[in-house]
Amino acid sequence: MSTEDDERIELLQGTLDLLILQTLRLGPAHGHTIMQAIQQSSDEVLRVEQGSLYPALHRLIKRGWIAFEHGTSENNRRAKFYRLTPKGRKQLAIETSKWERLARAIARVLRPA
Amino acid sequence: MTWRAKRDSLNELDQDIRDHLDRETAANVARGMTPDAAHAAAQRAFGNILLTKEATRAVWVPAWADQLLQDVRYAIRTFRRTPGFSAVVIVTLALGIGLNTAVFSVVNAVLMRPLSYQQPERLVWIATYDDRAPMEVVIGPDVLAWRDHATTIERVAAFSIGSERIAARDEVVAARIATVSNEFWDLAGGAPALGRLPGPDEDAIVFSHAFFERAFGADASIVGRPVAVNGRQVVVAGVLPASFGAELPPPVGASQLPPGPMDGYHAIVVQPLAPNSPQIRLFSVIARLKAGVTIERAASELAAIRTNRARVEGRPGPPRLRVIPYADKLVGHARTPLLILLGAVLLVLGIACANVANLLLARASARRREIAIRVAIGAGRGRVLRQFMVESLTLAVVGGATGLLVARGGLAVMLRLVPYAVPRLTEATIDGRVLGFALTVSIGTAVIFGAIPALAVWRANPKESLQDSVGPHVPAGPRMRSALVVAEIALAAVLLIGAALMLQSLWRISAPPPGLSPERVLTMKFQSNPPHQYMTEVIRRAQAVPGVQAAGTSSNGDVRTRLQIEGAPDVPIQERPLVALSAASAGYAPAIGMRVVKGRWFAEHEPQPICVINESLARRHFAGQDPIGRRLFLPTGPQSGDFAPIVGVVSDLRYKNLEAPVEPELFVHYEQIPPFALNLAIRTADDPVRIAPSIRASLAGIDKSRPIFNVQTLEGVLIDSVAPRRFNVFLLTTFAGTALLLAAIGIYGVIAFSVAQRTREIGVRMALGAERRAVVSMVVRQGMRIAAAGIALGIVAALALTRMIAGLLYEIAPTDPLTFAVAIGALALAALAACAGPAVRASLVDPIVALRCE
Repeated sequence: MSTEDDERIELLQGTLDLLILQTLRLGPAHGHTIMQAIQQSSDEVLRVEQGSLYPALHRLIKRGWIAFEHGTSENNRRAKFYRLTPKGRKQLAIETSKWERLARAIARVLRPA
Repeated sequence: MTWRAKRDSLNELDQDIRDHLDRETAANVARGMTPDAAHAAAQRAFGNILLTKEATRAVWVPAWADQLLQDVRYAIRTFRRTPGFSAVVIVTLALGIGLNTAVFSVVNAVLMRPLSYQQPERLVWIATYDDRAPMEVVIGPDVLAWRDHATTIERVAAFSIGSERIAARDEVVAARIATVSNEFWDLAGGAPALGRLPGPDEDAIVFSHAFFERAFGADASIVGRPVAVNGRQVVVAGVLPASFGAELPPPVGASQLPPGPMDGYHAIVVQPLAPNSPQIRLFSVIARLKAGVTIERAASELAAIRTNRARVEGRPGPPRLRVIPYADKLVGHARTPLLILLGAVLLVLGIACANVANLLLARASARRREIAIRVAIGAGRGRVLRQFMVESLTLAVVGGATGLLVARGGLAVMLRLVPYAVPRLTEATIDGRVLGFALTVSIGTAVIFGAIPALAVWRANPKESLQDSVGPHVPAGPRMRSALVVAEIALAAVLLIGAALMLQSLWRISAPPPGLSPERVLTMKFQSNPPHQYMTEVIRRAQAVPGVQAAGTSSNGDVRTRLQIEGAPDVPIQERPLVALSAASAGYAPAIGMRVVKGRWFAEHEPQPICVINESLARRHFAGQDPIGRRLFLPTGPQSGDFAPIVGVVSDLRYKNLEAPVEPELFVHYEQIPPFALNLAIRTADDPVRIAPSIRASLAGIDKSRPIFNVQTLEGVLIDSVAPRRFNVFLLTTFAGTALLLAAIGIYGVIAFSVAQRTREIGVRMALGAERRAVVSMVVRQGMRIAAAGIALGIVAALALTRMIAGLLYEIAPTDPLTFAVAIGALALAALAACAGPAVRASLVDPIVALRCE
């Protein structure tokens, strides 16, 4: 790993699923795009372990939260695009609220009023 | 999530990852890296691709399944590296599992599969009998009384089985016909393939599909048209489907009918008795109990009904009543022998298991270092154990699959050689239950033979194995292996002794009395009461054929009569003893080989009524007296009511069934009683099969409407009569032979392995001056010590177990010392032969080479 990555934070266990769902809310995307989107929208703070992206995607497919379809990428190659299913959309809402509650709780613990 | 979705998602994983890397590389290039650096950076960022793929696979396929697949692949690779070893193991397992599966498929067909009837579990056999005559028959009036009055049974059907002459396309053929009352169809539940079933009160016949094809060339136009049955026109109502197979017991007391499937079913209406009619029709009876009725309750009601009927109408039938499950009637007598065979074949499986365990144990010690390395570099012991179990299971599955082929072949051989040796044997197939059995046995054996080497590995210490450069040995290996071989030999000894006892019984029961030479006697059957002139012409023509020494007819004791001796105290007819009655001609005794012990046999023509008895009758009813000149009552003679003098006594001869003891038999000249079914016996100067065609041709010219059938040597008839015994002996000797072979392989394996391990030691001995002979004897002694222990154990086990087959033995004690000695001698010889190879190899060890090879 190069030194410039040292500022980044590794994802907490399980939060990758939530971020993938959130990213796909905007529309179908390629695996690489998902990764980039997460990194960019966190202002490069969050680091996605690229190797763990694919198991996570497959886990989500297995649960029926996302699906995939074939499409053609910009450079005219067959590529796989992942998209959110209705079930996944519902799950996203659940996971988001769970996450918010957790974040608030942690914040309260760290900065008692 | 479906299997397809899984496959689709996984299939493109490679491409997906490649695509990902390309994009990352492109992004890196855009940031200003050189293509090479961009690619390397992309790979670095991605991390371990293989690990990612594995983790992704694990989402779909549980890790244990993946590892299992790996283990199986590894096992198959290992077996491929040692093809000889694998072949021996697989063949051993195939024999063990295959023989077991074959026997189980017979047990399944005979004892487990339900009968081809409606509600077969409620079907009962109803018979009346007399203690003095074993025939199980029911008289018509009883059938009617039960049908009309019994409340414990739903349906009662009467039938009788016999041979009838059917005019087929261009000849008259003898067909096996069941004459059945209409209720039979309610019980059997048949739906015809063509036409219909006979209606109530209709004189009609339906044919089996096989007979319809054989005799009528599957010509559907015969349905609805009459055919001649015993010369009388009977309408063919229909043809049954090929699948129709309602099981029927063998016909009562008729030697006239060879075993086989029914050719047709002729409708009969059971009639009330005509007053004063001298003849009573006898039937076999089956019935279906009403739901919830016990056999005991039905039996007591049926008994009460017939007692009541006899009081009102007179004519009591045979005094005793028997009601048993119909399946017991059909196959009950086959149960014990089959279970014994199943036990015996399980012993073979035990030997096969021990052998395979032994081979695996030997290999486990050879593989000790490989395993130690795997454990040392981090494979858990559980993982290694699992690897062993997977190897065993793989072997067992391959062995089991091969065993299925063995079973199929074995079953085909049995069905070809002795199809009627066991009732319902022809129904034996490899069905789902048999497959399940084979699978269970395969897995069971794998667990047993796989556990032993696995345990040995479990206890092995990896550090020792790696340090030990001299030779691998698994703790307790040699002792465990010898113990396994001892057990194998003990089991083989039990099987050999059992088979030898059965074989001796077969020989004893089949040995013809001196001078009988049954291979030179041709027999054939004539059916349905041929007139006297016809039979006389048959005898005349048969005697005229060149090469014929003697020819004569007899009814072969198919009927029984009440014996009444003139001057003996008068007893009621029901209490007079029953004896077999035969109508015979002058040539019969010399042709069949019956010796005249006293007095004379019949002449060609006998002007006066006379009779001849056999030794059994003389012994039983004229004990200590001279029977010659005493007079017996001839119930069916032309001068019925007359007494006829005994003119001779002939030797007892089992001329139709070797299994049955000789009955007291009364012979009457065939011209002196009304004609009934006859058999012809012809003694020829040499092989009767050669002149059989000319005899047949000569006889066929007399009357084309009278079929001659079952042309067979007397030897063949007698062999057929011991078919069940031959079946048992055939299987048991096969098992014993297999056991002997496997045990020999077992000894060979242990000794050869031990010689290979001791090469250096043997080299040292020889270098120090041991003679080759001493080396040979040392190796042989080692093998024979194991054999002796096994044999001793086997004798003890056999003494305890052969009592179980005592009922199947004939004139031999289950502990017959000579048989034990012969069987054990054979086993010892096999053991010796198995030691010979390794012993010779040991003696050829070159001390210099042996000492150098380090």
